[in-house]
Amino acid sequence: MTTPLDTVRTDWHGRARRSTLWSSVAGLGLTLTAAAVVRSWRDDLPARVATHWGPDGTPDATMTVTGLVTAVLALTVGLLALFAVVGLVWGSSASTRRMAAGSAVWSGGLGATLLLVGAGAQRGLDDASSATLSGWAVAATILLPLVPAVVAALVVPGDARQPADAPVPPEAARARLGTDERAAWLRTAQGGTGLAVGAAAVVGTTVLAVLTRQWPLLLVPAVLTLLFAAMFAFRVRVDATGLTARSVLGWPGTHVPADEVVAASVVHVDPFREFGGWGWRVGFRGGRIGIVLRAGEALLVERTGERSLVVTVDDAATGAALLNTLADRSRQNRTPH
Amino acid sequence: MLWTIDTGSDEPLYAQLVAQTHLAVARGDLAPGDRLPAARELATSLELNVHTVLRAYQQLRDEGLVDLRRSRGAVITAAAARDLTAVEDALRAFVAAAREARLSPEATTTLLQEELKR
Repeated sequence: MTTPLDTVRTDWHGRARRSTLWSSVAGLGLTLTAAAVVRSWRDDLPARVATHWGPDGTPDATMTVTGLVTAVLALTVGLLALFAVVGLVWGSSASTRRMAAGSAVWSGGLGATLLLVGAGAQRGLDDASSATLSGWAVAATILLPLVPAVVAALVVPGDARQPADAPVPPEAARARLGTDERAAWLRTAQGGTGLAVGAAAVVGTTVLAVLTRQWPLLLVPAVLTLLFAAMFAFRVRVDATGLTARSVLGWPGTHVPADEVVAASVVHVDPFREFGGWGWRVGFRGGRIGIVLRAGEALLVERTGERSLVVTVDDAATGAALLNTLADRSRQNRTPH
Repeated sequence: MLWTIDTGSDEPLYAQLVAQTHLAVARGDLAPGDRLPAARELATSLELNVHTVLRAYQQLRDEGLVDLRRSRGAVITAAAARDLTAVEDALRAFVAAAREARLSPEATTTLLQEELKR
């Protein structure tokens, strides 16, 4: 008996190590470069720089320049370690490696903008108490690092094709389908609790921006709205090509080719316990990808390369049975080597 | 929902889609307000020409089962949720009678088709 999973195992671990390494180095590089720039400003900066502003816009906490640089570096290193663990332990799917690499670069970028925007506004000041922080500066601190993060995520290579060697287990459910029959199963997966959480976050950040009269901060709920809109509903499709799940907005989405399906089944999902939330998630168990919009019935697709995908969708039993049957067909149609 | 196409059947492909939509509505799998898949997506999934799916959707519209709207696609109408209990009961009685008379499924179907032509 061959053990194809062993070769696949080293395959994704190697890819995960590579993307984790370069994204962490890039993230750390961004923060270190900013730290060097801030140190070169030392003579222009007050002895203690403002690091926190009260709701009325006046500084209520200060630090030495060295203290600020050290604190921001510690934050960056902490976030980098977190995303390195995500990438190395759960990075069996390319989408997870992309997310981990993007988040690592975003963390480094955040460290850089925190230093450059925070200290940059205080150049030439004798005393930190006169330091002001505009809403634009805060919005830029959070949103600017998204640019290199997106670039990093796009640079991570996708998964190689990994057709299954073994047949779908005989005990897995099948759909009754004649040899002349074609079939497709199409459904829309929609959200429940996650939508409420998203709406609360949008309302919360909007209220915060309005109360503090920092209008540029409205950019944050705007970006959040876009994010939640993309996660709100997914079209799920099982056909001869395999399983496709795509946001109604067109992104994000994923496709599992029929010949990479190991087995499909129905499971019960608790989004918060198993995935830490709702939407497109990485699960705590073996890097399982979850499109989890509500608790309950879900379609689980086990895929080659130690990957798996779960989608919370109604009537998952019909979709699972059809996917197993079409996976059988993809094996029969394969040209013998 | 699950859509199937039997390429070995004499029934035209578009008519098979129409029949399945009727069946799904009768079973409650499709309710008024539900949207049918985009014609292009359904056509791709079943490896059909998009015009085949559009023809099915047009027939469903002509039958009053769906509304075709440019922005929202094909939506099941409120009129689609008719009470078909009487028809189903009569059909069950008809099939029982045909079995009693030892008619073949083909002969039974032909009788029904002839009756529909009147």
